[in-house]
Amino acid sequence: MSHHYVVTAQKPTAVVSCVTGNFTSPTDLNLIIARNSQLEIDLVTPEGLRPLKEVNINGQISVMRHFRPQDSKKDLLFILTLRYNVMILECRMIGDQISVITKAHGNVSDQVSIPTEGGVIAVIDPKARVIGMCLYMGLFTIIPLDKETSELKATNLRMDELNVYDVEFLYGCINPTIIVIHKDVDGRHVKTHEINLRDKEFMKIAWKQDNVETEATMLIPVPTPLGGAIVIGRESIVYHDGNSYHAVAPSTFKQSTINCYARVDSKGQRYLLGNMYGQLFMLFLETMDNGKGGVAVKEIKVELLGEISIPECITYLDNGFLFIGSKHGDSQLVRLSTTPNENGSYVIPMENFTSLAPILDLGVVDLDRQGQGQIITCSGSFKDGSLRIIRIGIGIQEHACIDLPGIKGMWSLKVGIDESIYENTLVLAFVGHTRILTLTGEEVEETDIPGFISDQQTFHCANVDYDQIIQVTPLTVRLVKSSTKSLVGEWQPPDGKRIGVVSCNSSQIVIASACNVYYIEIENCYLAEKSQRTLEYEVACLDITPLEEGKSKADLIAVGLWTDISVVVLSLPKLETMYTEKLFGEIIPRSILMTTFEGIHYLLCALGDGSMFYFILNRLDGRLSEKKKVTLGTQPTTLRTFKSFATTNVFACSDRPTVIYSSNHKLVFSNVNLKEVNHMCSLNAQSYPDSLALATKNSVILGTIDEIQKLHIRTVPLGEGPRRIAYQESSQTFGVATLRVDVQGRGGPKPTRPSASTQAQNITYASNIVPKPGGGNTGTTNAEIGQELDINNLLIIDQNTFEVLHAHQFMPSESIISLMSATLGDDPNTYYVVSTALIYADEPEPKVGRIIIFHYNEGKLAQVAETKIDGSCHSLVEFNGKVLAGINSFVRLYEWTNEKELRMECNIQNNISVLYLKAKGDFILVGDLMRSMTLLQHKQMEGIFVEISRDCDPKWMRAVEILDDDTFLGSETYGNLFVCQKDSAATTDEERQLLPEVARFHLGDVVNVFRHGSLVMQNVGERTTPNQGCVLYGTVNGAIGIVTQIPQDFYDFLHSLEERLTNTIKSVGKIDHSYYRSYQTTQKTEPCENFIDGDLIESFLDLSRDKMKETVMGLEVTLSGEKKEADIDDVIKIVEDLTRMH
Amino acid sequence: MSVADFLKDLPSHNAQNFSQFNMEHGLRTSQKRASVYLPTEDVPSEQHIVMDKRCVLLRYLKQQWDKKTLPRKRDHNSSADGNGTANSNCKKRPRLEPLEMN
Repeated sequence: MSHHYVVTAQKPTAVVSCVTGNFTSPTDLNLIIARNSQLEIDLVTPEGLRPLKEVNINGQISVMRHFRPQDSKKDLLFILTLRYNVMILECRMIGDQISVITKAHGNVSDQVSIPTEGGVIAVIDPKARVIGMCLYMGLFTIIPLDKETSELKATNLRMDELNVYDVEFLYGCINPTIIVIHKDVDGRHVKTHEINLRDKEFMKIAWKQDNVETEATMLIPVPTPLGGAIVIGRESIVYHDGNSYHAVAPSTFKQSTINCYARVDSKGQRYLLGNMYGQLFMLFLETMDNGKGGVAVKEIKVELLGEISIPECITYLDNGFLFIGSKHGDSQLVRLSTTPNENGSYVIPMENFTSLAPILDLGVVDLDRQGQGQIITCSGSFKDGSLRIIRIGIGIQEHACIDLPGIKGMWSLKVGIDESIYENTLVLAFVGHTRILTLTGEEVEETDIPGFISDQQTFHCANVDYDQIIQVTPLTVRLVKSSTKSLVGEWQPPDGKRIGVVSCNSSQIVIASACNVYYIEIENCYLAEKSQRTLEYEVACLDITPLEEGKSKADLIAVGLWTDISVVVLSLPKLETMYTEKLFGEIIPRSILMTTFEGIHYLLCALGDGSMFYFILNRLDGRLSEKKKVTLGTQPTTLRTFKSFATTNVFACSDRPTVIYSSNHKLVFSNVNLKEVNHMCSLNAQSYPDSLALATKNSVILGTIDEIQKLHIRTVPLGEGPRRIAYQESSQTFGVATLRVDVQGRGGPKPTRPSASTQAQNITYASNIVPKPGGGNTGTTNAEIGQELDINNLLIIDQNTFEVLHAHQFMPSESIISLMSATLGDDPNTYYVVSTALIYADEPEPKVGRIIIFHYNEGKLAQVAETKIDGSCHSLVEFNGKVLAGINSFVRLYEWTNEKELRMECNIQNNISVLYLKAKGDFILVGDLMRSMTLLQHKQMEGIFVEISRDCDPKWMRAVEILDDDTFLGSETYGNLFVCQKDSAATTDEERQLLPEVARFHLGDVVNVFRHGSLVMQNVGERTTPNQGCVLYGTVNGAIGIVTQIPQDFYDFLHSLEERLTNTIKSVGKIDHSYYRSYQTTQKTEPCENFIDGDLIESFLDLSRDKMKETVMGLEVTLSGEKKEADIDDVIKIVEDLTRMH
Repeated sequence: MSVADFLKDLPSHNAQNFSQFNMEHGLRTSQKRASVYLPTEDVPSEQHIVMDKRCVLLRYLKQQWDKKTLPRKRDHNSSADGNGTANSNCKKRPRLEPLEMN
């Protein structure tokens, strides 16, 4: 059996819908944003948008609308989910807590009807009398909003119009009246229907307009006094109210179809329109006196305002600010300005809300070789396309930055203010000198301390007992009175020796000069040398941190030695060796530190190559045990302790700065989102409380540190849509396949805007060599001038700078379908292998394509080989030095000959369309367009493929992955995940040929890509959870998640916790968790099985302690082999460990 | 009419909103998400939305039947009165319905 845990690391970011209204109170202006299965409730404030709460819905949101009941001062929210669940929600503020009340809920699905082709539509009567929905063909579903009844009866009305494009309710009608754009054989028409709510039928057609524009797609109802509706077409806009008719065809309009609108003012004269080009228009209805004391539309005016993210929805907030929700790029907060900026745009972007959607492909690479993956996603489409670099770590919030290159050490001090809790001074060491900075408020000024030497490099500096300050330089140890800042004591090594390394606490100093170690105690105005010892080898690093909390004296010192590369623990005050631990290897220790995490004493020793050993330290006998090693960076690492949120942490300064802390008695290593930190010290100044000072190559950063690690996303905008990514270690590059939309000009396709492929350092063009089947030539496109053409490019991007080194452009009809980096045969080179297809609108599936082998070397991309294929190659996999390709219905293997040619080795045709391939050893997992997954084996000796087993249940696949030799993970198009397992123990051949489904789960999002890899460091010896393997996924809605295997007993425990949580946490909208997570397609519905919903499990940590207690009551847990009743802290620990996977 | 005229007097709900929007560091980029709402109180829905499962065709036929049969009853009555045209039937029908329902 196979059990799985699935959890979201990055929540979906694509915005489905947004509305503005008064939700949390009659005076609060709220923005509500719908993202897949989540609602975000924001408050509009003077400072901007303030997120108040995120609400999970057990269903994917299809439509979100708001309405205000007749006698209400607040708006309500109506939601329709993909599975036809409906709900009416109200936000209430109880104190400063929001509660979201489900006012009404139900399900409006109909098992026998045919769903509409263009998706569902839901609209609400402006007087809030009825909700209308287009869910099924030929039906219009209404929910009359009666106040008194406990039951709202939804009814299907028969509608003559079958192909409906848009529906809206008209304003100012005695009976609720809808207006419809529909299509029949003659074209598209607009029609109104008056609804009789009592008899639940359409009464009459108030007015209609036949033959509107052939591509009319959208209706905008106009409020009274004007009334009527605006019909938006591809090229024209029409206003109609049954009597009068106005039309306009703006010339700026042609480029793209308008796909969303927002009404600006309540009178309905101004509207904002957005299109798929990311253009924002304003539509203005100019009015005149209609001669009867009322107003009528005189003219429609449309103006282009500027550029925004490709919008999915737009809403007007307040004072000229708009929210732009996007599915193809970052969502935005923009401001409309009455004066254009330097680009002639009236739209000023104010804030971007990062979105990864849609994730078409992703790569997991461990560029730093730390065992921690970074994800690079192909995100966004068209102009909003980008690569996103995603890395988990701890963030530093930068509060100030001082330009100061060459810092060699840094310490914070209290000078002359010993009774204050705040520090006021930073001491900075440079080669050959020292500088002192005072912090006064937020200002930083250079100062000096008379007792200090400033023409030498400081090795150490600290506040010590008796209100004194210590300064250690290569020649001397100086004791300075804090109040007078003057020298009161000094110590120098005998015979003019130079001090090599030093460590100090508030009452003790230990100093090493080559092999000699001196132990000094700090007294009032006096430094007392207590003992001295000569060690066998030179001292490389030292530490004298007291281990006992609250004690100022240490009993031990830790020493790292040159030459024999060892760690020695010495006793105090005699400096006797208590314990020696050889580290082996040739890299010298650079920094050593004793620290206590959660009551356990540790000794950490960082080496010159960025790796670090750590041990459990016995305080009494100095013994080191449980040696472990971790790689933190690649450069010499310095360890410093700091306190954050009252816990001890260690900061490892290196080229990959890391914070080390402990959780549940295990050390956790978290990356910090800074490129390089050479030195650091904690800083608690009045204007920078609980902060850190971090020295980078050229500056000092003052900032605070995040409490927990989280995902950090960096954006590399491309200006065109990335579709595939492959990493090539040998050339330190990424290969990225992109799609750019050009417009046909007189001399051929012309790019519409600068983008990654047009600005590459080198650009090459594919020649037209592959003939179109049945004549013609790929080179000559008979595109009309002004027509859009898809141009595919292969980009070679530097792995560090993300510069586009090379762009190879393909012919307009040739699309890149798949991309990989591979080493083939005995050839030492690493190649980019690209598959393409020639796509023509008149062919049901591509008949011709190419597999092309490129070599990127010394800044040049060269085509090495190509082979013509009779179809489209959807998937490429490196398979034991050969190229495995899924070409239309074939799986085919090509070998790489010594002549550098691809030669077909074998072939199997047993599918409809082979879309996805994964390989492990000799086994190949095939994901088919509609026939689920098949397992093949390549018989090397015979040179054939053999079908081993197959899942016979039809599924439309979206991604596949091999979990282990027998277990296979699939994602299909209805947002479900499932696992099939090979039954090797089966007794009959027939059973062996089956690939039965052993686990299933409704994710509620479509997974486009699976990749093995981990977001957190894997090589750290401490296993916190018993999970096995880790597969990352990326979805259409921009979510990133993890699927991992868990053992049966852990599954049982989590499953029972999950069940308890569904009882504790109530569902907003009253959709059951078990219903939501059940596997559902148009063909079948089956309960969720052998998958744990990690998102629900993790929500345990956000419950109040009382609710936790209620939830775990009677829950059994197996701890170290023993079954017992779980207490809250056991469960918290387990769940916390699980959260650490992301 | 210029674009500037279009953008004049944009609606203001509260003039304070966005007035202190900080653009010191240029375009802001936000990844921040609000805390998740975890209701533990079960508040029952005031209203249930239920689907009328009756077939559209059957409902239509029944409606037609009702339309046809009701006037007939009326016809019967009115013919007994010896007074009635289709027109008056139609006019009076709505008033009669509640009675029938009672």
